[in-house]
Amino acid sequence: MTNKEKVILGVIGADCHAVGNKILNHALTAAGYEVINLGVLVPQEEFVNAAIETDAKAILVASLYGHGEIDCRGLRDRCREAGIEDILLYVGGNLVVGKSDFTEVEKKFLAMGYDKVYAPGTLPEQVLADLKEDLK
Amino acid sequence: MELKNKKWSLDEFNAIRAEVLKTWPTGEGVNFEEGVKYQETIPAKRHFAKLLVKAKKNGETLTQPRAGVALIDEHINLLNFLRTEGEADLLPSTIDSYTRQNQYKEAQNGIEESLKAGRSLLNGFPAVNHGVEGVRRVVESVDGALQVRHGTPDARLLAEITMAAGYTSYEGGGISYNIPYAKSVSLEKTIFDWQYCDRLTGLYAEHGIEINREPFGPLTGTLVPPSISHAVAVIEGILAAEQGVKNITLGYGQCGNLVQDIAAIRALEELGEEYMAKHGYQDMVLTTVFHQWMGGFPQDEAKAFAVISWGAAAAALSKATKVIVKTPHEALGIPTKEANAMGLRTTKQMINMLKDQVFPQTRELELEINMIKAETRCILDKVFELGGGDYAIGTVRAFEAGVLDVPFAPSKFSLNKILPARDNNGAVRLFDVGNLPFTPDIVAFHQDKIAERAKAEGRAASFQMVIDDIYAISKGRLVGRP
Repeated sequence: MTNKEKVILGVIGADCHAVGNKILNHALTAAGYEVINLGVLVPQEEFVNAAIETDAKAILVASLYGHGEIDCRGLRDRCREAGIEDILLYVGGNLVVGKSDFTEVEKKFLAMGYDKVYAPGTLPEQVLADLKEDLK
Repeated sequence: MELKNKKWSLDEFNAIRAEVLKTWPTGEGVNFEEGVKYQETIPAKRHFAKLLVKAKKNGETLTQPRAGVALIDEHINLLNFLRTEGEADLLPSTIDSYTRQNQYKEAQNGIEESLKAGRSLLNGFPAVNHGVEGVRRVVESVDGALQVRHGTPDARLLAEITMAAGYTSYEGGGISYNIPYAKSVSLEKTIFDWQYCDRLTGLYAEHGIEINREPFGPLTGTLVPPSISHAVAVIEGILAAEQGVKNITLGYGQCGNLVQDIAAIRALEELGEEYMAKHGYQDMVLTTVFHQWMGGFPQDEAKAFAVISWGAAAAALSKATKVIVKTPHEALGIPTKEANAMGLRTTKQMINMLKDQVFPQTRELELEINMIKAETRCILDKVFELGGGDYAIGTVRAFEAGVLDVPFAPSKFSLNKILPARDNNGAVRLFDVGNLPFTPDIVAFHQDKIAERAKAEGRAASFQMVIDDIYAISKGRLVGRP
């Protein structure tokens, strides 16, 4: 048993982009977190179940393929229903189809209940810094 | 089901076909005989397989974008725009990601949400949901040759619908649409399901209809050394040929070092012909496709155009039969049609300027060609041996043993033991060869190349070097120096 803080990592929906997922896994592990990496093609309920089973502090959702808007909607409600309403929810990637103004995208996903929304091209260091701050 | 690299009998095929056509209501709209009759009416100028044969004969490199949206009329407009404003020689229909996972209900929801929102909420064209009739509207309204491009482990119903509707090219394969596109689907299943798609293509061929098949070359698109993707391409070519496919395009994704990229396309074509001949598949046409850089792109559009141009140059100088084109929006997701057309025109200009130039046959080029061939033969011959003379069985066993291994693959059936990194000149090498069946000479070659770079950078080769290489192009350079 370790007393490292646990975070859930995964690529949501029908998305199979694996590279960023592997790099984040590496960076989070190196930073001392215990990463429960669900990999690609992860349905919402699998994120929630994994968070409950492991008592994780955060769920880090990635979506690269443009269906993020459909796939990510409702995850906060699902967490609430499952009794983990206060869990940190981060989301990042290429979240919508088409080139769009990121501030609009950020607003949309914050309204969906995500705590942090990351633009394309965000490096792992940014996520690590935010996680450290939010888990204080 | 017993997996073997052996041509399916018509009875075996028909038994499975009855099930496949029942998996979604639009399957009922497929009528093979009517599909053959319709295919006969497609003129040569809109015929994918025929255009490739002509380009190969004339030594041309054709341009092709990726593109697809949820609704039929919007999809037609998009493709016609890319043909006229982008001067695209060949056209795609990129299929959405729900369809790729056979989630037709979700795709239907995406169609309805797109109708409501007035913009596409799907990242591609849901051809199965639109059915033969809907897809044929695209074929009849678009002035160009059409290919299905996707990433679908089980693409049987999609193949039935799009081929009956008049598509003359179909991308994918049992390895290349599994390992980079699935997490837990077995290779036995995907190779078997892709034998179905190949057998269907072969059946059209027996009725006089040539439909092009294209294994997906770049795999994970992330520092994949040429010999790995070449081994997969040649195996999928052989599996297709066995089922009766007559027109095959083998693919490769740009690595970024010009000499290695030119060598890769030359080696790919020669290896393809060598192994086809060796195993007795001769009455067919082999062509090649070069994919512009598949990894991360710079967000700055001016810089992205440089990446696109470099890929166009490598494609033209390698004499690939076609090039798949990227767009200046690559770093940000799915492009607008205008951005897509700009990538196409950039590429076309570069190809036209280079088509009369021949890259000299230097010693460096020859060395690269020979290395790629030697490495690929090591892998292919071991796969054949593991399969007891059968590439289908051999492939399954080779992935289990790490004899075939794809870097950064999401599939749990890839061992993920190899680690690629660039050498000091930017060519992609292996700093960990994992269980690849290379000779000691080849292993030493890779080690020396990586050691040379590590020394130049004053650091040891490590996973950090790989990460630096993955981000390098998006941050403005080829080699990820510290």
